[in-house]
Amino acid sequence: MLIRLVGGEVIDPVNNGPRQRDVWIKDGVLIDPPMGETADQTHDVSGCIVMAGAIDIHSHIGGGNVNTARLLLPEHHAAHQPRPAHTPLSNAGWSTFQTGTLYAQMGFTTVVEPAMAPYTALHTHLELADIPIIDKATLAILGNDDFTLSLLRNGKSSAMLDDYIAWVVGSTRALGVKVINAGAAAAFKENVRSFSFDDVVPEYGVSSRKIVKSLQASVTRLGIPHPLHVHANNLGIAGSADTAADTIAATEGVPLHLAHLQFYGYGTEGKRKFSSEAARLAELINANPDVTIDIGQVMFGQTVTISSDVMRQFTAIGNASPKKSVILDGDGNGGGGIVPYRYKQDYYGSLQWAVGLELFLLITDPWRVFFTTDHPNGAPFTAYPELFELLMSSGARDAKSTELNATALELTTLASVRREYTLEEIAIMTRAAPARLLGLKDRGHLGPGAIADVAVYRKGKDIARMFREAALVFKNGDLVVKNGKVTHYRWGKTLRLNPPPDKAMIKRMRDYHEERYGLSLDWFTFPDSAIQRDAPFAEVSCNS
Amino acid sequence: MSVAWVGSQPVSLMDAIQNAAKLLASSRCPVFTLDTDVHGTRSAIALAERLGGAYDHGLGETLANEVSLFTNHGGMFTTPGEARRRSSLIVLVGEIPASHHEMLESWAASRPDLGDRNKRLWFHASGSGTVSADTSKLVRKLKAVSLGGDGLSLEGALAVLRAELHGRHVASPLVNVAQFRQALNKSQFPVFVFSGTSGEAAGLVMLQGLIADLNKNGRASSVFLPADDDAWGTALTSLWMTGFPPRTGFSNSLPSYDPVRWDVQRMIREKEADLHVWMSTRGDETPPARGRIALISLSKNETPTAGAAVTISVGKAGVDHDGVTYSSRVGTFRAVAASAPSQLPSISSIVQQLAEALPGRRALPC
Ligand SMILES: [Zn+2]
Repeated sequence: MLIRLVGGEVIDPVNNGPRQRDVWIKDGVLIDPPMGETADQTHDVSGCIVMAGAIDIHSHIGGGNVNTARLLLPEHHAAHQPRPAHTPLSNAGWSTFQTGTLYAQMGFTTVVEPAMAPYTALHTHLELADIPIIDKATLAILGNDDFTLSLLRNGKSSAMLDDYIAWVVGSTRALGVKVINAGAAAAFKENVRSFSFDDVVPEYGVSSRKIVKSLQASVTRLGIPHPLHVHANNLGIAGSADTAADTIAATEGVPLHLAHLQFYGYGTEGKRKFSSEAARLAELINANPDVTIDIGQVMFGQTVTISSDVMRQFTAIGNASPKKSVILDGDGNGGGGIVPYRYKQDYYGSLQWAVGLELFLLITDPWRVFFTTDHPNGAPFTAYPELFELLMSSGARDAKSTELNATALELTTLASVRREYTLEEIAIMTRAAPARLLGLKDRGHLGPGAIADVAVYRKGKDIARMFREAALVFKNGDLVVKNGKVTHYRWGKTLRLNPPPDKAMIKRMRDYHEERYGLSLDWFTFPDSAIQRDAPFAEVSCNS
Repeated sequence: MSVAWVGSQPVSLMDAIQNAAKLLASSRCPVFTLDTDVHGTRSAIALAERLGGAYDHGLGETLANEVSLFTNHGGMFTTPGEARRRSSLIVLVGEIPASHHEMLESWAASRPDLGDRNKRLWFHASGSGTVSADTSKLVRKLKAVSLGGDGLSLEGALAVLRAELHGRHVASPLVNVAQFRQALNKSQFPVFVFSGTSGEAAGLVMLQGLIADLNKNGRASSVFLPADDDAWGTALTSLWMTGFPPRTGFSNSLPSYDPVRWDVQRMIREKEADLHVWMSTRGDETPPARGRIALISLSKNETPTAGAAVTISVGKAGVDHDGVTYSSRVGTFRAVAASAPSQLPSISSIVQQLAEALPGRRALPC
């Protein structure tokens, strides 16, 4: 099948071709214009921009905690407005089926669930496999489990840590490794209530810093393309900017990704002792090329916070709205908290909103800042179109600012920042850079040989509308969306690494699980066939 | 050996599928009673959506009680693995289903290797309602100290316990509270083990209130052991597929959750439903007393189900075929291999065939 997109404006910062050019797809892959061949299918996309499919690096779309949030909040579906559709189960609010449908309609073709507890990997993958159309991936959580902490306490070799991480990544089918408030979940079980970068986990005598640095080094040695994905300590607390600054300073020449930086952008100035430190953090990021970050932008309205940072979530119970929550002390890296929350246009909400935008606008390199709301923690991903508009229009920011708390905004630099993201910068931030950060060489751009994940948007004054309803979306060359509606159903893959497991480590794992849990290792692992879809996984290679 | 029947007549599987599909196609309001693994549940819910039906689990009443703890309140929980490794003080709450007794006994045979590492102590909190002989036997075996109150419901007993732990004076104290207080002081991570069978919904909420109290200054948590692992697995699967737990119905492909409106047994009794698709893979079960509506039975039986228009024999995941089930041993899903592989088809394969025999012949999404 040969497909030709004619007359569009191509935004493809990776390949410096002419802006006005046709895009050709053959058998699911992008190709150079073929000589003397006629397309089987031609789409007139004049008046439209053409980009690679978007990639979301951090969105909680499936797994135990997301599902517990559904259980807790059957009334929450209004946040995921159903829209008429004619595809199976895609009207099911906040379901896996709707997740794939809504993402595709916005031109997103790959989404990463960033928090898979290793012991619940099968559950996560069952959910990801039921998200239609798009490709998925997930990061394995490490750093709060007895096995890792014992290795570090006992001064075991870094080779053994590498073998363990490789085994976890391989057996859980992860694309990378995440650490969440390193050591705090273990410490919370021992009744520790606050935990900073140099605090030490009781029983193990290992600091949060030591855990992060050890995992960061191991991920790099193993050639895992995505740098260690760090959810730092002290999320959401006034003064957390100091923790973020400490973490940024700890990269020491090795790549590190800092998740949802907005939630650490807070100082202690002002009458309410809650102020913006975004400008300071942005400067630190600009000066440290080892660091990439995503924002976790706050948008207003009802949402639910879902996090494996159990210590943080426990302290948030009192602010739950509606008044119910789940706190789970899970096995090792599992667990977390589900706390519903409504972001109001009050002092706190306004400040958080502004901090996110300041970070977006003051961090100069679009290759190192990533577009997220930490769905659903800052806002549901369905708020993305409005966020694009805020980034691309200083007028839209000014207009929204007039509705918000003026005292809060005065403690930020937002009003003075007039930068507007260009379409090229949007394409870098949401396509090219995520592909590079995750090690996905086959996507994120429109060069020949890339898979044909293509999003076409109708240009218009209404930026939010343009990004809400893609004119056309192709996934691996299949036309899946037309005029903002899914028209064709297909199943994507879950992208995973597959480092070869070390035999001695498998034996160690077998012994460990039998001794500590009284169960054989096969209770914790699963074959691909358990997913019951054709070839549910696709392998991504590690760096050599 | 026959695997399919129309009425009591053995027929080919193809004939049974055709007959069942005809009933489904002409039904105005089909209802589904589920009892299968994750993949059977996925297919059945996809079929219910296509037909505009409603679904519930065979143990829908108990499941609804368990679900309501979350939809109304939430709470603090831990996993069986963490409790085994970390908790030196376990409090069993009310009636604990027999299917979990073996696991609890295995905890008793092990010693915590994390946290305070003290020898494990056991208590049993209950109202004055009787617990089953099985649970009484378990309580004796574990040498669990009774924490009960005469004439009190579970909610009442736990309320008294909360008050006593707060140091408030109570008119009629529970037995053994002093001993319990002593155990609490020594244990860094006490865990309350409960189930949907432990007591009424208000009792489960009171238990979470007690745990919240204990977390003000120290740590404590609970292990939720579902009354039935398969039912809980169905609830979790339903949540990601539709956003809702069972007792969900579809109209115009929009799911809605309503534990009264979509109570399938009620819909059958009150003739709101006109076709019942009854699934049961645990073997030799019969559908509950029913109203006079047509019945399609997908069950692990060697004989036709009495009163069913169509019966198809199906296998059980983990016995006849591979599958994925919820397991309280690990507090999550587990891949299960067939222990005695047989020719009996899986629910999911039969449901797929039913969908493809319907007008339009479209495959289900799962
Ligand atoms: Zn997150």
